[in-house]
Amino acid sequence: MLKLNDVNITFNKGTVNERKALCEMNLHINKGDFVTVIGSNGAGKSTLMNAVCGSYEVDSGHILLAGKDVTRLREHQRAKYIGRLFQDPLKGTAPNMTIEENLGLAYGRGKKRTLAFGISKRDINVFREKLASLGLGLEDRMKTPVGLLSGGQRQALTLMMATIVTPSLLLLDEHTAALDPKTAGKVLEITNRIVKENNITTLMITHNIQNALEYGNRTLVLSQGKLLMDIEGERRENMTTEDLMKLYADSTDDVMSDKMILKS
Amino acid sequence: MPFLFLFKKGIIMDKSKRINKNKVISFIPKLILVVVLLLIINLKLTQTQVYGALELGLIYSILALGIFISLRILDIPDLTVDGSFTLGVAVSVIFAYNGHPFIGIVAAIAAGAISGIVTGALQTKLNVQPILAGIITLTALYSINLHIMDGNPNISLWKKETIFTYFQGKLPEGVPYKIIVAAGILLIAVVFIYWFLNTQLGMAIRATGDNEYMVRASSINSDRMKIIGFAIANGFVALSGGVIAQYQSYGDANGGTGMLVAGAASIIIGEVFFGKHTIVSCILSSVVGAIAYRFILSFAISIGMEAMDFKLFSAIIVALAICVPTIKKMATRTYRRMKDKGGNASA
Repeated sequence: MLKLNDVNITFNKGTVNERKALCEMNLHINKGDFVTVIGSNGAGKSTLMNAVCGSYEVDSGHILLAGKDVTRLREHQRAKYIGRLFQDPLKGTAPNMTIEENLGLAYGRGKKRTLAFGISKRDINVFREKLASLGLGLEDRMKTPVGLLSGGQRQALTLMMATIVTPSLLLLDEHTAALDPKTAGKVLEITNRIVKENNITTLMITHNIQNALEYGNRTLVLSQGKLLMDIEGERRENMTTEDLMKLYADSTDDVMSDKMILKS
Repeated sequence: MPFLFLFKKGIIMDKSKRINKNKVISFIPKLILVVVLLLIINLKLTQTQVYGALELGLIYSILALGIFISLRILDIPDLTVDGSFTLGVAVSVIFAYNGHPFIGIVAAIAAGAISGIVTGALQTKLNVQPILAGIITLTALYSINLHIMDGNPNISLWKKETIFTYFQGKLPEGVPYKIIVAAGILLIAVVFIYWFLNTQLGMAIRATGDNEYMVRASSINSDRMKIIGFAIANGFVALSGGVIAQYQSYGDANGGTGMLVAGAASIIIGEVFFGKHTIVSCILSSVVGAIAYRFILSFAISIGMEAMDFKLFSAIIVALAICVPTIKKMATRTYRRMKDKGGNASA
């Protein structure tokens, strides 16, 4: 499904601040995989996502999505196949537009934007049904500007928007990190349900080790722009957070970030 | 305002209706504005002046709609406006001078759209800063406009047919044909803009000004959306210029200076009445604001302001309107500080 072949990204090349963010990264993700990604700050998690979705251009190497080389495609061209959630709930929605308008925009993913009306009656029924399935009462507030919603509601809506046209790949970049624990749990539950229901290939970055093991079927550990560990199958099922942290501490000099320790 | 204390002491407002208090208070400036405008119209202006202000207001509404697209929807103050307005004037005047007033209007729109595309492309494809991109196009347009006008800084359409004289001949005697023509064009413009902003493309453009990340993540080319937005915005601006030129039967190569600020002032005045929450209220704000602005100018002239002070006037309106929130904050802080001091002293 998603393949990375020898992908390199270096920031500030040729200066004192040169930093290899991704170093000869090779990765193969199968269709239907729900992969969680962990690693300390600066390990290259977000860079990996940004490379896949096209926000950063890779220096060398290739990225293949569903057999197609997307390395040199621009962000909005790749967005036809990729649904995406940001850490910042404000980034995923247009605040001055209503809920239905936001969904209408997302509903056109991969299609050409024409001079047809943005939202049809039939669309609205689809949106209402989908929103009702979130269980947040948003289906009765379709004409409300999104800017008036809470962070959790906006993130849930963004999730809906990212998956309303089923994407080939769903990228979640710590999408619950800015939410309070209770809301974060709820958004994660919704995420898990939508991913399972539609069998979407998903890559989820998290700082929470427990979540990393609890959700999905495979866990990647990144360190200094390299793939440190790739845990799946039975080994992953029997693994506890303590095991994982110990394993991590043994194989790298990186200090686990406080955030990770606190949350685990 | 002496009657404000009535609200504070709850003499007028029932406590149970306190939620509406804010609404009532925000209603006051609107009321004052309306009353002042009506007074101006009744007391100070002759019928000719009222008609003149209304005609100009209707035509400048189109300008305000164009500026609304760049300033409010794309959220970028687009300085191209000062040049594309004159571009519309130049194109329209040249065609009308040669006997094609209607083609002149259409050509003005097209020329304006092209200038918008240039600004948009500079900003998105070549990463020029938004304001600078506008200034570059504006500066280039100075020369281009003069070239279009064949080197004459002004051209008169004296005794030439314009869209206004054309309809004057078609309509019965005594009908205010200038208002009808201007209102007709404005109506088409308003219907177009309302329809367009609700299409898929229009929604994508609105979202681009609102949140570019989200737009790109929804597989929309945000660069293209900006370019289309600028094209339409400047098409409107040039249309306004083209109509003004034929209305005045006169084209001036310096006529566009300060149009961005004048348009922004109109929009800000309109937003006092209608706010900027929905597309309808934004369109109403632009149109009503532009008309109100012309009446305010007519009034200012009737009490002795000179035409050369217009630009100063609109600059002050815009600066004030933008500063109001900050001034309010400063005033509140000073008030609190004084209150705290007073409290300490008495304690």
